Amino acid sequence: MTELVGRSVARVDGRAKVTGAARYAADQPVPGALQAFFVLSTVARGEVVSIDASAALAHPGVVAVLTHRDLPRLTVPAFPYFRRFLPMQDTAVHHVGQPVAIVLATTVEQAQEGAALVAVGYRAAQPRVVIEDAREPSYLPPPFRNLPNEIRRGDAETALAGAEVRLEARYSSATRHHNPIEPHTTTAQWDGDRLTLHESAQGVLATRTVVSAAFGLPPEAVRVVAPYLGGGFGAKGPVWPHTVLTAAAARVLRRPVRLVLSRAQMYTLTGHRAEYRQHLRIGATRTGELTSIIETSTAQLSATEESVFNRSDSTVELYACPNLHVRYEGVRLDVATSSYMRSPETTSHFGLETALDELSWQLGIDPLELRRRNHAEFDQETGERLTGKHLLDCYALAADRFGWAARLPRTGATKDGDEYVGWGMATETHTFNAMPSTASVTVGVDGKALAQLATQDIGTGTYTVISQIVADALGVPITDVQAQIGDSALPPAGMSVASATIASISGSVDQAARAARAAVVDLAVADPSSALFGAAASEVETSNGHLVHVRDRQRRDTYRAVVGRAGRPVQRTATVLNKAGHSYGVVFVEARVHARLGSVRVTRVVTAHDIGRVMNRRTARGQVLGGVTWGIGHALMEHTVFDRNIGRVVNPNLSTYLVPVNADAPPVVETLFVDKPDPASTAMGARGFGETPITGVPAAIGNAIYHATGRRVRDLPITQDKLL
Amino acid sequence: MAEHTRRTVLKSAAVTAGGAALAARAPAAAGAAAVSIQPAQTAEITLSVNGRRRAVSVETRVTLLDALRERLGLTGTKKGCDRGECGACTVLVDGERVKSCLTLAVMRQGSEITTVEGLADGDRLHPVQEAFIRHDAFQCGGCTPGQIMSAVACIEEGHTGSDEEIRQWMSGNLCRCACYQNIVAAVADAAGEVRR
Ligand code: FES
Ligand code: FES
Repeated sequence: MTELVGRSVARVDGRAKVTGAARYAADQPVPGALQAFFVLSTVARGEVVSIDASAALAHPGVVAVLTHRDLPRLTVPAFPYFRRFLPMQDTAVHHVGQPVAIVLATTVEQAQEGAALVAVGYRAAQPRVVIEDAREPSYLPPPFRNLPNEIRRGDAETALAGAEVRLEARYSSATRHHNPIEPHTTTAQWDGDRLTLHESAQGVLATRTVVSAAFGLPPEAVRVVAPYLGGGFGAKGPVWPHTVLTAAAARVLRRPVRLVLSRAQMYTLTGHRAEYRQHLRIGATRTGELTSIIETSTAQLSATEESVFNRSDSTVELYACPNLHVRYEGVRLDVATSSYMRSPETTSHFGLETALDELSWQLGIDPLELRRRNHAEFDQETGERLTGKHLLDCYALAADRFGWAARLPRTGATKDGDEYVGWGMATETHTFNAMPSTASVTVGVDGKALAQLATQDIGTGTYTVISQIVADALGVPITDVQAQIGDSALPPAGMSVASATIASISGSVDQAARAARAAVVDLAVADPSSALFGAAASEVETSNGHLVHVRDRQRRDTYRAVVGRAGRPVQRTATVLNKAGHSYGVVFVEARVHARLGSVRVTRVVTAHDIGRVMNRRTARGQVLGGVTWGIGHALMEHTVFDRNIGRVVNPNLSTYLVPVNADAPPVVETLFVDKPDPASTAMGARGFGETPITGVPAAIGNAIYHATGRRVRDLPITQDKLL
Repeated sequence: MAEHTRRTVLKSAAVTAGGAALAARAPAAAGAAAVSIQPAQTAEITLSVNGRRRAVSVETRVTLLDALRERLGLTGTKKGCDRGECGACTVLVDGERVKSCLTLAVMRQGSEITTVEGLADGDRLHPVQEAFIRHDAFQCGGCTPGQIMSAVACIEEGHTGSDEEIRQWMSGNLCRCACYQNIVAAVADAAGEVRR
């Protein structure tokens, strides 16, 4: 039987998703549940001085209006809960859009209407919400999760002063919001001191940790269920206040409570990519070898949380450069706390890859050649050789397919009708994390396999890859495999964040399945009623649900018969911890800029990626397609606008916060993979990948725009007005 | 607070405390004179969904989307924005694609409504559903019911003459996972099949 791992296998959850049968968190029927809707603060800084709920309570169907006076005192949880305060514990207001009351009603409409009827009085002070308006200068925050906010290598200042060529530039990007299609939702149901949550969560166990800590309960008292997720992109990785507050409301009222955030509420309650500025100074030789990089970035922090989420890993370690000084600074502002948004490293990577393009023009060296000359063969921190890195192969593959050799090294050289045509490229890279994972695989008396672990499928294909792995390891058809995930009661696995899922779980699933296979083979050879009785276990092959003697193929049995005769299921578990690492790649784009309107279209994209072993061609390609279009949104359209006077988001919706639509996506995207297993990976040679294929896209587009027009835009998004 | 604001009437997605008494210079969100509409009247209506007539009791302000999801238990249709911007809630009403969050249930009596649950013929998937699986035209699936309903109508409308035409006519349905190229391929493929 041909292996399924590595092939283009259709998603096993496809049928459920195209028929509407897949039940997402808000689709789960919970009899008797009250509907909740938040009243959010309308001021950014100050305190609540009065709450009048009488009109809301008079509204038909409204059951209760809860405020800080009604909720139990809760413990502010630790990672992955950010913000460092819980709303509705006192009167303090730290940002616009902070929950100040919860309205509970029989129907969604009544709760929403009731929320509009609650009158809240505030004492408020003038807020500061954008970096430009900051009250105090930027500063170096303390390390976040033990990661230093200042990194030095060699002597960067001296090397820069002595460099043959120098480049200095400032890059920036606006606040962005994740906007998964499914709004965040929580349904909380208490049974005494036990809580069940139907939650839109990228981490069922992380949610359990946070919520149990908030209520001072043992983790086992909380069960979090999330079989399907309508997109997360990091927004559903951290646990946010609404989850804890919904559970608190359900505890107070002794009834199940369901909350679905409105789209607008997602702009202040569920994190965002922080407004960002980056000052880069680069020293190089006349032949383009980097000798020094000095980078200071400034991120928007909130009034209560000073963690920096967008780190410059690529500045630090993508290219060979002996001298480096990187500082992550921040400024405190009266905004909601930011967090991780798909590919946090994209934020700084835009500056780095744009600067290299600028350097290439300055030196008259082809931008791809410049990157080759700075290729890092060794880990820049430890000096160890980077085995299993195939970035140079990516460059060669994609450049060839794109036809990069035909690029004209002049700006404004190609015009097609009303549009200037330009080509741009950028290296892609992102870190991936690895978390301990335990998987259980059971072969039932019907011969069917069940894989279980508390991981998640956020759309990246987890169900499918698990099923492929188990089918291969056992030697059964994929239709005989079921994956059960998204439930904190299952064997423990990590969050689906930081490109970690496949890199973390694959090894444990494979090993558990192999152990289950071995156990079934052992049963067969020890069973006098099996045709395989007395054979050596090593002489038994498994394929398509059958167990076959390798030399005497007439001697055969089936999983179903062997386990059926044994009379009870065979279950094995395995635990594996992989190592974190990097994935690599390159993106080439063709962009067209309208000569009079300044509008930009991305018309052709070629990528090549080195992600270790490709587990499923189809889902891996899906990550690239999504990543490229995310990169287009990041480069050309997405930006959250604040009213600097009152601190509100003025475009908290999908008609004025523009995300790419179908017609914005490039019609042609070619996705190439090196597909060489990473020898260092315990995930069957696979590496984490989902975030890598955005990283280079914004710079590649900006570089193509420069090639097309000679206009360099260093502030994202590159909206039409900047090109007029 | 006794007075209603415009927000009471406009079912606002951004519910803020309307007309909050602000001590600072931040202006109140809505200062318009009070207009009051009593929203909570209940109507007994019959909706014809996926070929079945279903009696349902709804307040007059209830959208078709919430009637389907919250009253009839048809949760295949998704709510992404509740204000006509994302397309996740797309259903067919008398064969035409409609954003069910932008129409009231009481307005759709006597219409034939089709949701994603009603497309397959027993175990046999609709060609558009098949094509979505074949072309990997979804990831998380959050937009997928809306995309599929929109695609069925797009084909019926005859807006599948070229990939470019499909790109334009499927642009009312956002996919944040951004499976757009695969959606175009699936729609083009299914269009060929439906016409055969
Ligand atoms: S939910 Fe109706 S268009 Fe978004
Ligand atoms: S599949 Fe996730 S939004 Fe379209």
